[in-house]
Parts: sequence; C-alpha cells; structure tokens
Amino acid sequence: MSVTQNTAVSAVPAKGALKRRNEAVTAWLFMVPAALGLIIFLIIPFLMAFYLSLTNTRLISPEPADFVGLRNYATLFNVALIKVEPVIDEQTGAVMRDENGNIEYPRARTILHGDAKYEGLQEAAQFNLFGNHYLFAAGDPTFLRGLKNNFYFVLVVVPLQTALALLLALLINQKIKGSNLFRTIYFSPVVTTMVVVAVVWTFLYNPGEGTINAFIKTATFGLVGPQDWLSNPKLAFPSIMLLSIWQGVGFQMVIFLAGLQEISEEVYEAAAIDGCNMIQEFFFVTLPQLRNTTIFVVIATTILAFQLFVQVDVMTQGGPSDATMTTILHVVNEGFRQQRIGYASAVTVAFFLIVLFISIIQRMVVPEERAVD
Amino acid sequence: MAEQILTQEGVTREQPYSLRYQIRKSVILALDYAILILLSFFFLFPVIFMLVTAFKTNEDQILRDVAGLRAFVPYGPLGLQNFFDVFNRMEFGRFMWNSVFVVGVTVILGLVVNSMAAYALARLRWGGRKIVLAVIIALIIIPFEAVAVPLLLLVNNLPWINGTVGWLDTYHVQIIPFIADAFSIFLFYQFFIGLPKDLEEAALVDGASRFRIYWNIIVPLSRPVFATVAILKFLYYWGSYLWPLMVTRRPEVRPLTVGMQQFFGQYPRLWGDIMAFASMITIPVLIIFLLFQKWFVQSVASSGVKG
Amino acid sequence: MSKKGLLIFAVLAITTLILSACGGAAATPTPEQAAGGEAATEAPAAAGGSTVTLWFHSGRGAERDALTEILGNFADAHPEITVDAVELPEGDYNQQVQAAAVANDLPCLLDFDGPFLYNYAWGGFLTPLDDYVSADMKSDFLPSIIDQGTYQDHLYSLGQFDSGLAIWARKSYLDAAGVRIPTLDEPWTRDEFDAALASLQALPEVEYALDLKMNYGRGEWYTYAFSPILQSFGGDLIDRSTYETAEGVLNGPESVAAMEMVQGWFQDGYVNPEPAGDTDFIDGTAALSWVGHWVAPDYIENVGDDLLLLPFPDFGKGSKTGMGSWNWGITSSCPNPDDTWTVLDFMLQPEQILIMTNANGAVPARSSAIANSELYAEGGLLRLFVQQLEGGYAVPRPITPAYPTITTAFQEAFDNIKDGSNVQDELDGAVDQIDSDLEENNFYQ
Repeated sequence: MSVTQNTAVSAVPAKGALKRRNEAVTAWLFMVPAALGLIIFLIIPFLMAFYLSLTNTRLISPEPADFVGLRNYATLFNVALIKVEPVIDEQTGAVMRDENGNIEYPRARTILHGDAKYEGLQEAAQFNLFGNHYLFAAGDPTFLRGLKNNFYFVLVVVPLQTALALLLALLINQKIKGSNLFRTIYFSPVVTTMVVVAVVWTFLYNPGEGTINAFIKTATFGLVGPQDWLSNPKLAFPSIMLLSIWQGVGFQMVIFLAGLQEISEEVYEAAAIDGCNMIQEFFFVTLPQLRNTTIFVVIATTILAFQLFVQVDVMTQGGPSDATMTTILHVVNEGFRQQRIGYASAVTVAFFLIVLFISIIQRMVVPEERAVD
Repeated sequence: MAEQILTQEGVTREQPYSLRYQIRKSVILALDYAILILLSFFFLFPVIFMLVTAFKTNEDQILRDVAGLRAFVPYGPLGLQNFFDVFNRMEFGRFMWNSVFVVGVTVILGLVVNSMAAYALARLRWGGRKIVLAVIIALIIIPFEAVAVPLLLLVNNLPWINGTVGWLDTYHVQIIPFIADAFSIFLFYQFFIGLPKDLEEAALVDGASRFRIYWNIIVPLSRPVFATVAILKFLYYWGSYLWPLMVTRRPEVRPLTVGMQQFFGQYPRLWGDIMAFASMITIPVLIIFLLFQKWFVQSVASSGVKG
Repeated sequence: MSKKGLLIFAVLAITTLILSACGGAAATPTPEQAAGGEAATEAPAAAGGSTVTLWFHSGRGAERDALTEILGNFADAHPEITVDAVELPEGDYNQQVQAAAVANDLPCLLDFDGPFLYNYAWGGFLTPLDDYVSADMKSDFLPSIIDQGTYQDHLYSLGQFDSGLAIWARKSYLDAAGVRIPTLDEPWTRDEFDAALASLQALPEVEYALDLKMNYGRGEWYTYAFSPILQSFGGDLIDRSTYETAEGVLNGPESVAAMEMVQGWFQDGYVNPEPAGDTDFIDGTAALSWVGHWVAPDYIENVGDDLLLLPFPDFGKGSKTGMGSWNWGITSSCPNPDDTWTVLDFMLQPEQILIMTNANGAVPARSSAIANSELYAEGGLLRLFVQQLEGGYAVPRPITPAYPTITTAFQEAFDNIKDGSNVQDELDGAVDQIDSDLEENNFYQ
C-alpha cells in the first residue's frame, strides 16, 4: 500500500539500455489515458483552485477579479484567543452577575468590534480555563467548525464502524444456517444511493411524528420522549453519523469477511494446542492476522469521512447552528452558493494540505507490513 | 458477542456430546439468531419503509403512519398510483436510460484506463514511477466537490469533436472527467503487485508484447478486482448528484438523482411520489445485487482490497 | 481473453465514444451555436422560424399544467416561433441558473423568484425590457410588480402574477375562542394577537394555534414570510436608505424584539416546528395558517364557508406583508430577443394570466385581469391580497444585488432562532455576513 515497500518491478533479465527504454515507453503508453484524465480533470482544476485562492474572484460579477495574495488564507487561519474580564458594576465595583448568579461578561461582538486589531474576527467559542474566561475568535469560524466536525466524525465513526464491521463479519463467518441471507441483508444498504438514503432517513427522523421516535418510545415503554433529531444541535451530527454507519458498514464487513476466510485453520489449531482460550485466540490470532485488512479499512474510511457531504447537504444543510457543517459543504456553500469562488478555493487548498498531512502521519504511525511471501 | 461464538467453538473441543453442552449450544445458537435478526431489522427498516410507503396511495395516511410502526405495514389503499404519478410527471424511462448509459460507459472505460495505468505502475520499470504513484495516492484525498467549480469553468471551455466549444448539457461532460480515477488505479495496483510473476516472465521470454501480457494474462487473472472496481464505481456514480445538477439542464441527458429532486425539492413534498421514485432508483440495483450477490461479495473479498 | 474479446472490447469502447458524441451534438445548443456562429448549422431552423428557449421552475402541478396550456395557445397563435421549454427542479433553481450564467449557457427566457433579479441584472445577464413595454401596458400592472422588476431605473422583469401573504383562519374557531375578526383598517394589535394565540391554543381540537408552514423547510420561504414581522416592528433586513449596511437594522432593538416574539411562539408550543405534512390547517389541528395565496384552491375546497382571510397583525408600525413572486426576464445572451418578447408579451395577455392565476390562486399581475378574476375582483374572497399590494402594506424584499446573501444569512439566523439560539447573537451573525459581502463587492456600486 505504501510507496516505499513496493518490490514488484518486473525482474526481467536486463539486456541493456535499449530494452529498458522500450519498457519505459510502453509504461508511458499504458499510463497516458489515465494520466491525461487525471491531469485535465483533477490536477488542472486543483491548480486552478490554487490560483483562484489568491484572488477575490466571484462566480458572477461585472467587476474584474483582483489578485489579493494570501489574504484568503489569512482570513482562514486568522485566530485569536482573548482573555475576557467580567463586567464591573460601576457603582459598587463588584462583578456583575445575571439572575442565575453567573458572572456576566461583555458580549463577544462588543469586544471584537471595539478594537481595530480584532477586525475580521468572529466569535468561535467561549470557555473558562483556570478561573479565567476566554473568547476564541476566528476569521472564519464556520471553516473551523467544519474541520472540527470532520475530525469528530473520523474519531467516532471510524472506530465504531470498523468494530461493527468486524463484529458482523465474525457473526456471518460462523458456520450456521442462513448466514448467506444475513450477509445479503447487511450488505444491502451499500447498494442504496446516498441521496435516496438521506431522503428516506430525513422522513424517518421526523421529530415528534417520526418513525424512529415512535420506535424508541415503544422500545423504552415511553421513558424516552420524542427527540428533534435533526434540529437539535447536540443530536443532529450523531444522527448523521448513525445513517452513515448504516450505509457504509456492510462493505467493510465483506472486506473483513475476506480477511477472516484467509486465515488458515492451522493457525487456530496451533493456538488451541498452545492452550489459548477463545478470547485469547481472538486477540492473539484473529486480530493480528487481520492487521492489513484493518489498516485498509481504517485508511479508506478516514478518507471517506473527510469527504462527508451528501448526507449533510440533503438532510441539514449544515445546520442547526453549523452543528453538522463539514469542510466540503463549506466549500460548496461558499464557492457555488455564495459565489465566493476565490475564498472557497482557499478552503479547498488548505483542506487538501491538512488531509494530506494526516494521511502521511497515519502512514508513519502504522507502517504497513506485507504478508510474508 | 464474539466471546459467545468463540466459547461455542471452544467447548466443541472439550466435551462435544454431553447434555450440558447440547443445551448450551442450543441457547447460544438461539441468542446468535436473535442478534442476527435484530441486526437484520436495523439494516432493512429504511428500505422496507421506502417500499411500503411507495405503494400507499393515500398521502394523508402516509403522514399519519410515519408516527408509528404502521409505517412498515402495507395496509389501507395500496396501489401503483405513486408510480403512475412519477411516469405522468416526467419521462422516467429517459432518466433511467441516461443514468444507465452515463454510469455504464464511465465504468467500462474506467476499468480499461485505470487498470492499464495500474499495470504500468505495478509491473513496468520506468523513471518517475514512484513519484507518479505517490501523486496518485495523494490525489485520492481530493474529493470531487472541492474542485467542482473550477472543473465547471474548465469543461465549459473545452472543445468537442464536432467543433463546438463547451461540454455542458451532454453525456460526455458526465462521463469523460470521471473515467480516470485515482482510487481505482490504487485498487488495481494493490491487486497487481500481489500477482505471481512467473507466467508473465515466461511470456516475455516467448516474446509477447506488454499489451498482450496485460490483456491475455493479467486481465483474466484479475477478474475479482475488475468486478470490485466496477461495483464501487457504479455505486458511486449511480448516486452522483451535484455535478449533473451543475452541468445538465435537459431531461434528455439528466440522470435519475436529479430527476428525483423534482419531487424532493418541491414543497409541499409528496412523500408517496418521492418514495416511489426512490424505490425505482434503488430496486434495479438491489435486483442486480441479489442476482449476483454471491459472486459480488466473493469478488470484493478476493480482490485484495483487504490490503 | 482472446483476440476476439479484445476486438469486442475495443469496438464497444469506440462505439460508446461515438454514441456519446452524438448525444452531445444533439443536445448542445450552446449560445454560440444558437447564435448561429456558423451559418451552415443554423439553416434548418432559420427557414421555418426561430426557436425561443425557456426555463421554468417546476412548480405545483396546476401551475405546470397552466403553463403548458399557455404555451400551447402560443403555438396556435404564433406557429412561426417554436418554444423550447425546460423544467428545472425548484429546490436548487437559483444555483442552476448561476451555474448556467457562469457557463454562458442561459436560455432566452427565464423565470426566477423576484428578488434574485437584482443580482442577475447587476451580473449583466438580463436585458432591460424598457423598449418593449409601452406606458399603457406598464400602468396596467400592479405597482408591486413594476417595483419588483425595476433595478437602477430599468425594468428587467415582469410576472404573470404577484403573491399574497396573510393569515387564514376558521371563523368557527375564532368565534369559539372569542377572538375579534380583524380588518386591514383595524388589524390585530400585538396584545390582541398574543391573546388570540393563547385562547386558540386552548381550544380542544387545536394542537397548534399557529401554522407557519415550517414543512416548507429552510429556504426563501423564511425571508418571504417572516421579514414582514421585522418591518412591522420597525426593523428590516438592511438599511434601505443606503443599501450599504445591515448594522443597527437587522440587529437593532426592533428586529431583535420581533424575532424574540417569534421565538416565543415556538417556545410556547404555538407552532409545530416540523410538521410531517401540509395538512395541519385543513385537518383543523392548526387554528391560524400564516401562508400565501397558493394554498387558496386547497383551503377553499377543504374548509369552505368557514374560511377567513385576515391581514397580519400590526406589531407597532402597521400591518406589513410580503409580496413578489416568480417572474420572467430576457437574458442578454439571447440571440433573438424580439421573438422572445413576442412569447413573453403573449404570456402576459390578461386572458393567459387568468389561465395561470385561476390555476394557482395567485393575484393577477394586471388590473385588467384582476377585474375579470372571480376571486380577486371587488368583493372577491381573496380581495385582501389586492388591497395589500395596492395599498402599500406589502413590502418588497431588499432591492440589491446582495439579496442572495441577505436571504441566506437571514434564513440561517431564523432557522437557529426557532431552534432556540440567542436572538441577538444570531442577528449579529447575519449582519456580519451581509456587511462583509457588501464590503467585498464594493457595495455593488
């Protein structure tokens, strides 16, 4: 999987430079169609995006675009952490408190608009730390929120989905009647279209009158009341995660299934002779044997997680209060819907670099081992 | 749950014939099935809901039913009215054909183009191979949506073979940009580097050309990975939505997903019609899957996707 | 695989290429082509007359049928002009128009939701209609239609109809709850409206006192339907004296009070935040329905004589309501604008307008059509809508190219406010978005 471990270059006996040059020509001929396609339809648009990111181009505008240098990137990464002092009652000199007894702080917007050095910043978060109150402000809080959600999605969905896929694979891999049928059922969401799935789940998630609420009410004997799945900021993103896992887990299950079926009986027999119990067997035999499979599943799911778009676009459009915003949705909103193509391109480029960085780290942390030949 | 399964096997080795073992085995088996069936419900309920709703002709009833488990029960006035609505409203067949054609051609051409590139990367010796491979792997992480707008600007200025400039509102604007695909190349590459080399070397000694080797040896050996890439690409482009919405307007070339937007993006939503449409997008794929499912799953399994 | 297999594969690949090329050639009337860049390609169409391309949003069934009928009538009257109509999904309509504008791939005749006009006109892809519209014809239109279609002293668009927005009620419910029936001269005050909501909510058959059609979802509906509340409080979406900032207006105390009131309606349980369907009012579970003319056919049929149409309350600065609807413009890239005007002119004939408005219940755009409309003529059931439009109660949405940003920002804020976010914060956020867009575009000077 990694670039460095490849040893598969054909071992044709070298008959001098000519032969090798022929092989290089052949290779390029093989590469040409795909290379052209990737260059024209992916690399060039990406380079265009890079160029656009240095301008203030708008999708439709009678005004010519200006070159603005790194200004878009400056907005994107402009952040400030501001310590906020409580509001002091001018007469008594005491700290003002609201009706609940909480300390009152000046509004974030008052602080940010009150000082020229904070120009262009918007409130991203407020929090208390070591007895002080801080305001975290950013040039584009939505971008940060999108990025944060992407990471949140990766951290929750990747382990959960991988674990569930492994569990399903273990269940299916038992030699019991009907396992083919169950395999088919678990795989079936994979063949449904995400746009369709998102539409159907929107209906199922309907608050108050939705099927999922009805089901939960029945299952908990009415203890859990109806939830506003998609309009509650706390629940909206987990709801999207659930749907994503539902749709994607079947495919990984099949990959794990393949991995499981490749483990030879002998390994298990050897383990049994060594006196392993079943739990030990799982952790010391099955899991290590599935190492490469797991790495593949984790990396592929991570990449997909960063591309999260269709579900949130159809179901919540990033709302409520950006609770389900993702980076790609932000790109599409800014570039296509708000027509700020220059700025959106800066988000694209920054996002690419961030994900590339993560992938490289991921590869460095978990170097892949090829199975022994 | 994993423990239970494993325990079951573990006991097998110890005392296979005792009564205690038999009872325990039955209980575990029953638990096993209970879990499998519960999970089945989890994976099936949205699909069942979609299909059942599509056949309910009374819109008010659909809205009432969604508040309970009756949403899964086909009762009340049932019929094909929602499907007729879809057909009356638009040329559904045309949309279906557009989707099948666009996705079919993208997949077929993609298989050829990407597998050839992967073969060059996996098996041939040439300068720049490692760099190209690294670039392709890096390209996997650029999602299409991120470059959609520059791509739109680009295809709008590309010439076409009949002398016109601009690709909008055509089939090829939906096909050509997506034939070459970094992830497909990567999957092929992964599979090819795992293939044994001896056959190839023998053929080389016999003086076979590289293309012959690719076509006569590599391709037949690699059916599983071809099937896997075809399946993945098919599913991905079958569901593609943003791009067709941006570059096509005419029903003559628009795909199903955009057609559905004429129902879903129209308030108030008529859920019966929407579900009928959604069913008709889903059912063909489901049927294909059911017919070929054994082969389908095996190909994914043996394609080396597992790493 | 054998040589035969290779051959089949190659043929298949090439055939698909050729096929897709044919598909492309047949379905690519790019502006260049349509403009007749090469005389040879143009010949067949030019001999028999010209073709006018037309895009329309896929509205309700009845609206589509009416348009088909009107275009059919046009074909009978003007066989020399072929109209090529394309229907686009309403949900993403503006985005599709934008994509086409970027690609210079717009049709000749285009319909769009009123306030988007200013952005399109500013972007330079609409052509003014001033030379086509006579003074007589202009004076026959509702003043609201002309206001909506005018940007920087040029008339860019005309509609077949305007919209009406008001409160639908059941007389029996109001009587049972002891609520006064308001008139345009004497609308409910805020106190009266609060009391009305409380007593209607108390009726046994009522689940929600107020139906705000939240099932329409986030979109233009929010701005159209709820910005009149701002205006009735004395706030607005933007400072209309300069169109250069929303500061102090959209987040001023009046607007904040307005949105806090609306938030209160949701918090008090008067409003169903996400109705599954569109039938709460018809079913009788919602008492008042805050919605436009388009429900008229449905409501009249289902509620009958019990149905009332009432003006919005006066929250301080008079009863204000929304206006504006889909209207038609001719694009500047159109190769045959004169023929296109012939089509539009025909569609705007009073008889054709009535075909449309009888189908969709909208307010006919021309006085001569209104006079012949059963619903809207003097004494008609929906006369209130005409009074609102003619009497200055209806406020056009901001006339500025920044409108797409304004409406997106307000929609987002409204969505969060109804879900319980802090009103001042949300409106501040919207103001920041709007002001930075204005600044970035040099105030659209």
